[in-house]
Amino acid sequence: MVDLAESTKMAVKTLTANKLRSALTMLGIIIGNASVIAMVGIGQGAQRYAAEQFESLGPNTLFIIPGNDGGRRGGREVPRTLTYEDAQAIASQVPSIAAVAPQIQSQQAAVYGNRDTNATVMGATPDFSVVRSFPVEQGRFITDEDVQRRTRVVALGSDLANTLFGTTNPIGQQIRIRNISFEVIGVMEAKGAFLGTNQDDVAIIPITTMASQITGNVSLYGTEVTFISAMARDDQSINAAQFQISNLLRLRHRIVNTDDFTIQTQRDALTIVGNVTGALTIMLAAIAGISLFVGGIGIMNIMLVSVRERTQEIGLRKAIGASQSDILSQFIIEAVILAVIGGAVGTGIGVGGVSLVGAVTPLQAGVSPIAIVVAVGVSGSIGLFFGVVPAKQAAKLDPIVALRSA
Amino acid sequence: MQTIIRLKDVSKVYGEGNTEVKALSAVNLTIQSGEYCAIMGPSGSGKSTAMNIIGCLDRPTSGRYDLDGIDVSRLSDDDLAHIRNRKIGFVFQQFHLLPQLSAMENVMLPMVYASVPLEERSHRAEEALTRVGLGNRLNNRPNQLSGGQQQRVAIARAIVNRPVLLLADEPTGALDSKTTEEVMEIFAELNASGMTVVMVTHEADVASQSRRVVWFRDGQVLHDHLDPADLNQRAIAAS
Ligand SMILES: Nc1ncnc2c1ncn2[C@@H]1O[C@H](COP(=O)(O)OP(=O)(O)OP(=O)(O)O)[C@@H](O)[C@H]1O
Ligand SMILES: [Mg+2]
Repeated sequence: MVDLAESTKMAVKTLTANKLRSALTMLGIIIGNASVIAMVGIGQGAQRYAAEQFESLGPNTLFIIPGNDGGRRGGREVPRTLTYEDAQAIASQVPSIAAVAPQIQSQQAAVYGNRDTNATVMGATPDFSVVRSFPVEQGRFITDEDVQRRTRVVALGSDLANTLFGTTNPIGQQIRIRNISFEVIGVMEAKGAFLGTNQDDVAIIPITTMASQITGNVSLYGTEVTFISAMARDDQSINAAQFQISNLLRLRHRIVNTDDFTIQTQRDALTIVGNVTGALTIMLAAIAGISLFVGGIGIMNIMLVSVRERTQEIGLRKAIGASQSDILSQFIIEAVILAVIGGAVGTGIGVGGVSLVGAVTPLQAGVSPIAIVVAVGVSGSIGLFFGVVPAKQAAKLDPIVALRSA
Repeated sequence: MQTIIRLKDVSKVYGEGNTEVKALSAVNLTIQSGEYCAIMGPSGSGKSTAMNIIGCLDRPTSGRYDLDGIDVSRLSDDDLAHIRNRKIGFVFQQFHLLPQLSAMENVMLPMVYASVPLEERSHRAEEALTRVGLGNRLNNRPNQLSGGQQQRVAIARAIVNRPVLLLADEPTGALDSKTTEEVMEIFAELNASGMTVVMVTHEADVASQSRRVVWFRDGQVLHDHLDPADLNQRAIAAS
């Protein structure tokens, strides 16, 4: 039995003697591997990106949304059962909560002089800036006094300020929202987009002013809000906060069985995002895996042709003393070498592709070293798996018949 | 003198039923160590079939074959491969050199399967190539060599593992008369130095180099010990 180093040398010799055929055989594996690496890398990049986005909403944040999953999934209009008063109750009665930010939200035209644009107008409280980690850059934010006195003041998101004022200093200027005049008191820091939605195209006004003068709806329960965000004292108290807020709201809303609100923690959101992007990654990897499989079949195909072409060589080797296992290992090693080199080249291309995506998009796509090792290992196994059939065929050839096949 | 080949009632049948061909029927043949024996006979008389069995490339359907004192008629494929590697050197009509390998590498091939250490391999290959007069063509590929030179590389490959038996099935069938002579000289030299040579040929000139002619007809040995000298008249009479 010929040793491994010797068989490898012979295989390399044969493969380099047929460079074009070897390259073409590798092509399938190269493409398969490049796509596996690229797909997984980009999928993980997307996962990381989404996670960062949710983290940017503010640490230890809980979102209290009117209605529940079932209601929203049904697509029906959800009754606005959350009120400003609920938010005040949470702030004063839930000990694990550090800050609460109810908000009322609506798309409105904002006008300054002859410029006008559509913006998201938010009715908010001073804690909004804290809960959402959204500080002012210039001027000041809404104060408790503004909320109490329903003053007509507005803090502008950086993009909106830019659109309306350009280089003019907006502080102290008047803008009109729904034909009501507001004094600009501050400009927020730029926050960037959240899952593709611009967060800097906003006008923030006192929640009481919003409710009474812009879109306010006062129901049986009080002043309706779009949703409430709350910040737990620390990440250990998130679960407690969720539990306590649930209890408080059930009590206030006199709920017997089905909740009319949903509390989502940042962690929940992260889990959902993780599940979605994880599923996406798996799907991409599966598609890429199929192409890797097809690459393996390509190797088998060309190896089968090669066995037929090299029948005389096999016959000669057997005539001068090669055993069945010598021939078997020679052909399997050829297949494995092709697959491993193809795998390595494909991985290189995949890593290059992923870096390119990382360079031109906000996705921080990266390939872990483990993924590379796994990819090359898997392609090696594919070579082994798909090399067996042609190698067995070669090993079983009758030397007399093989030598005669001229 | 030692017996190298002993065929006892060896038969070979190909196919079954009405496609059955009896290529050899009850062949008895004994060849001693150091002999130079030519096998002749009409086409289809079973010469190659007999050579394949003698060369352990094939097994007899019935009968017994002892090679160098070992009964090889019932050995497994891998055991036969081992015997071919250690005890037998083959020379074929079509040379059967591997085109991607140099003369040296082709000659080293049998030693690869015999697990000869690397340094010894190149040393012995060079020695064998020098012996067949190709000491200056070590690194040529087969397509850079003439037909006669290629057959000489094949002979070097056949003797490099120091076999007890050199088998050649029409080794000059693809060569012109001049290169045939060159190649025959080498066989004569090898035999003179003690190597047992068995060669199938259609050419009386070639057979006349040997010291014994075995004549086959219809799968049987018609003449066992023809003298190469009176080959021509006999050959005409036999066919
Ligand atoms: N694999 C095979 N299957 C069936 N019949 C075969 C096979 N090999 C040989 N034969 C038959 O056996 C007989 C002997 O063939 P063999 O090749 O030994 O003849 P030969 O004497 O070498 O002829 P030639 O001088 O033409 O080479 C022939 O009739 C041939 O057709
Ligand atoms: Mg023949």
